[in-house]
Amino acid sequence: MAKIIVVTSGKGGVGKTTSAAAIATGLALRGNKTAVIDFDVGLRNLDLIMGCERRVVYDLVNVIQGEAGLSQALIRDKRVDNLHILPASQTRDKDALTLEGVEKVLETLAKDFDFILCDSPAGIERGAQLAMYFADEAIVVTNPEVSSVRDSDRILGLLASKTRRAERGEEPIKEHLLITRYNASRVDSGDMLNLEDIREILAIDLIGLIPESEAVLRASNQGIPVTHDANSDAGQAYNDTVARLLGEEVPLRFHEYQKKGLLSRMFGGGRR
Amino acid sequence: MSLNVDRDSLAFTFKGGMLPMMVMELTSADPEQIRDQLAGKLSQSPAFFQHTPVVLSVERLDEPHLALERICAVCRAHKLLPVAVRGGADPVKQSAWALGLGWFPPLDAGRPRSLESVAPVEPDASIEEGPLASPPGVGSGGRIFRGTVRSGQQVTAPEGDLVVVGAVNAGAEVLAAGSVHVYGALRGRALAGIHGDPLASIFCRELHAELLSVAGNYKRLEDVDPCLLGSAVQVRLDGDQLGITALS
Repeated sequence: MAKIIVVTSGKGGVGKTTSAAAIATGLALRGNKTAVIDFDVGLRNLDLIMGCERRVVYDLVNVIQGEAGLSQALIRDKRVDNLHILPASQTRDKDALTLEGVEKVLETLAKDFDFILCDSPAGIERGAQLAMYFADEAIVVTNPEVSSVRDSDRILGLLASKTRRAERGEEPIKEHLLITRYNASRVDSGDMLNLEDIREILAIDLIGLIPESEAVLRASNQGIPVTHDANSDAGQAYNDTVARLLGEEVPLRFHEYQKKGLLSRMFGGGRR
Repeated sequence: MSLNVDRDSLAFTFKGGMLPMMVMELTSADPEQIRDQLAGKLSQSPAFFQHTPVVLSVERLDEPHLALERICAVCRAHKLLPVAVRGGADPVKQSAWALGLGWFPPLDAGRPRSLESVAPVEPDASIEEGPLASPPGVGSGGRIFRGTVRSGQQVTAPEGDLVVVGAVNAGAEVLAAGSVHVYGALRGRALAGIHGDPLASIFCRELHAELLSVAGNYKRLEDVDPCLLGSAVQVRLDGDQLGITALS
């Protein structure tokens, strides 16, 4: 049986899709058969980040409405064999999704896959609730700013009440905190919330910290998940995150601000 | 008085004190009826009956002779300790003294006695409003919430105190008929005494609350003295103003 993981945040633009793509890629690179589903019906993005937008024929809504089979809609990733993408529909809206339809898709995928990542839309409405409803684990993506933290807090409340595990009184969803766009120097100068403040407010385990990085923007514009850029700080941070998701103990990196020494200032720092 | 007396040789000093005291206002002189009702109360809120001192008020009874000894025995059997009697005619005063109880004059001694004390009193309605029914802060309807109360969530204790073992985050709301106790940071809204209990209070380990309210009197974060932010405080009603004091 596959593990179903929802990548969610409440707030938009914090890096849900980037994270879903990067983590799915990381899981697949480590030999896990992984599917990543775009639940953002109407604002399809995952296919762009994964670089498969030109190969989309059928989508999640087609499958749910019986217009296409699941195997027809699943797109195999060009770079990693055991990674598959189920894109969202750009022309429909979130009302096209039904609870029964989503359940059926997830049940079918669960037979073949090790991990299913659900890339949630922003907000707390139907689309976001459907994306989280069947999840076993949740990755809550948060930026180091107050509005993002508050929205994540709201999402954590929904994860504890509006999901199948909660409604059935089963073991609660395992919640992980993923902090993205962390800029250690701006945290140091007080412009951004620091790691400890975020952890204290949200009170859940930290699964990863992704530094703000040029590599992320470059990766999404190229349609290559940043995990492939193993030399970049963000790529390494996502790899660490995936390792922790698989139960490995990996020390936290990129959270401390290192003032540049005289030498590195004269000769330029390393690549960021 | 004691100005010229060596302090060490004093066995005691007299001090005037105002102690909170439960008054048990009797509307029946029948010990059996009192026993039945006490048994019911005991099962509802056992925590209240812990050798609690009470003053038996007999002002609403118009009987010159009371089975005071039997009434006291019934009270003691239910872990209420009668310490004094208030009101009643001279025979009542004498039997109180004989039983080792104090006697207080009736509360409305100056006022003419109204006719309603003669009229039969409806048994239930008045009793439910009595002090026994709602001892401040005790209540069996309390609630304990363990974990973080998150933005958008509301946790309510409609009948008693609310205890949150964890933080109350911004955008969350905690409400109680009694007091609100937060063993963590209070960042959201806390409303105590939602049915109007002016003795309800709010306690927290770390104050950042968006809104504090006791019995409908509220303060916004903006109105709170900035030096209290982040510290452990209690919030209670002082007249019609909310008073916030640090707990040290």
